[in-house]
Amino acid sequence: MHRRTVEDRIFDTVNISLLVIITLITMYPFYYLIIISFNNGLDSSLGGIYFWPREFTLNNYEKFLSDPKWIKSFGVSVLRTVVGASITIFFTCLTAYGLAYRNLMFQKAYFSFFIVAMYTSGGLIPYYVVLRSLGLLNTFWVYVVPGAVTIFFLIIAVSFFREIPAEMEESARIDGASDLTIFFKMILPVSKPLMAAMGLFIGVGQWNSWVDSAYFVNKDSLRTLTYRMMEIINQGMIPTDMASAERAAAVTGVTTFSIQVTAMVIAVIPILLVYPFLQKYFVQGIMIGSVKG
Amino acid sequence: MDQLTKISAPQRTQQLPAAKRSVWRQIAKQKYAHLFVLTGMLFILVFNYLPMFGILMAFKDYSISSGIKGIFTSDWVGLKYFKEFVGAYNFKLIVTNTLAISLLKLFFTFPLPILLAIMFNEVRSKFFKRFAQTVSYFPHFISWIVVSGLLVIFLSTNSGIVNDLLKGLGLIENSLPFLSSPNYFWGLAVTTAMWKEAGWWTIIFLAAISGLSPALYDAAEMDGAGRLRRIWHITLPGIRGTIVVVLIMAIGSLLGGGLVGSNFEQSYLLGNAMNNERSEILQTYAFKMGLAQGRYAYATAIDLLQSIIAIILVFGSNYISKKITKNGLF
Repeated sequence: MHRRTVEDRIFDTVNISLLVIITLITMYPFYYLIIISFNNGLDSSLGGIYFWPREFTLNNYEKFLSDPKWIKSFGVSVLRTVVGASITIFFTCLTAYGLAYRNLMFQKAYFSFFIVAMYTSGGLIPYYVVLRSLGLLNTFWVYVVPGAVTIFFLIIAVSFFREIPAEMEESARIDGASDLTIFFKMILPVSKPLMAAMGLFIGVGQWNSWVDSAYFVNKDSLRTLTYRMMEIINQGMIPTDMASAERAAAVTGVTTFSIQVTAMVIAVIPILLVYPFLQKYFVQGIMIGSVKG
Repeated sequence: MDQLTKISAPQRTQQLPAAKRSVWRQIAKQKYAHLFVLTGMLFILVFNYLPMFGILMAFKDYSISSGIKGIFTSDWVGLKYFKEFVGAYNFKLIVTNTLAISLLKLFFTFPLPILLAIMFNEVRSKFFKRFAQTVSYFPHFISWIVVSGLLVIFLSTNSGIVNDLLKGLGLIENSLPFLSSPNYFWGLAVTTAMWKEAGWWTIIFLAAISGLSPALYDAAEMDGAGRLRRIWHITLPGIRGTIVVVLIMAIGSLLGGGLVGSNFEQSYLLGNAMNNERSEILQTYAFKMGLAQGRYAYATAIDLLQSIIAIILVFGSNYISKKITKNGLF
């Protein structure tokens, strides 16, 4: 039935070739980061490294792991990712469970309240004023509290909870379970796929975030990993500009540039690790999201 | 299945009289559900609705020392801050950059996911198809910080690979100052956005394509239509609805960066004193005026101006789309 014509052959060749090129262009920059992070920093600044480290070294990682500044911001990033994702999952699911309640009074009004908020905002400055008045600026909580209920996931969670068979809850209710018990003992445990998807998306968002660290925090101990990288990028990390730093680093061969590259690898690795798990969920996530606009 | 409906049907009829009971008794019965919803509403009220009142600041002589209360109590100044911005020496430049970067991104990045989705769809090897797709989504999950860092490394005039490559191919003699000359900024913004987000948006078009009936393709093949004709006459018309909806969404979020990520982050991270005349946009300017210089009311006015342009774009594109394709978001 499917006889390959000449057109087919040309089409397939061109198509596959283009896709191979696109795939390489997408992957190579990450590969390049990794080889540079394993190369002597002074040597890297000479350029000309494309496929393998030229002067292999672990010094960049050693320096990174022994620098309290980087370690601390790494810790802040990990903490906000874990705490932020947990808080958001909990409060978003709690609200969604309430909204998904059968025959809930004022349900329409509740929904409009959330939908309107999804499409409007007051802008950066008024938001800043609110955070400031609440005393959230310069605290760790500014990373996790404002996003505790995320409307996008709220809508996904509501439609998920509505799929749970009513009989399950009703039988529990007959056995004398209250709504609180049902939520904690039944709904949350059966919602693992939902929570995994939320956790991964929110986690990645938290891990990558730097804008809030730049806007709302000026305590050095609260800086995130991505913020620190931004600092170096803004200083201009072009290798030639690093002359003085390089002289100081002559012994170990570690330069500001090579540390920056190492930090970038470290920022990408956690995402690379969760990526295989993430994959199962993101198609569903984007589909629901796009339907709601 | 039959049994399930039999069991639940009488229960539903039993619930009907419940609606007739007094409102208070029903609320009391659902007290936890209401409590849960109200907990969530509290967060949204504080972090979404409260800042909306802050828009008043754009028309007032607001000072940060007066806190939230000051939003309501400070004196009205009318359009003073809007006039000041319109009269600013760089007003034209900033508005031009904002619109140009957004429109260029729309024009160049919007067709790309559609094209990619069609290309993926035509791959016969299941393994390669999945591999290429998986790789293409990956940059979506990487922070703009890392992407900007990559750009700085790859475009460096000293040992950057892009300059090496162009020199190696004999296309240029001296390194091009990608990051320090205003001429390249728009191109950089568009290219990085394409690289980072094109793969991600193929998901939605691939889903639309997979919903098309294989019978259509078989029939077309019987009639002697080749691959390109089948794409042109079946795939593209088949996903037209999806394309329109995504396009309107893209236009709606255009000033923020559309579907392809953040205009702010790009301009903030890659903008510098040397390429400022092409990289300064409304958001970076509002940021510098507001949080960096403490001119809160002025920055709010600039933010508001941007929101107004965005609203006009959404309603405008929706209106045009309805006229042309009878298809719109609302």
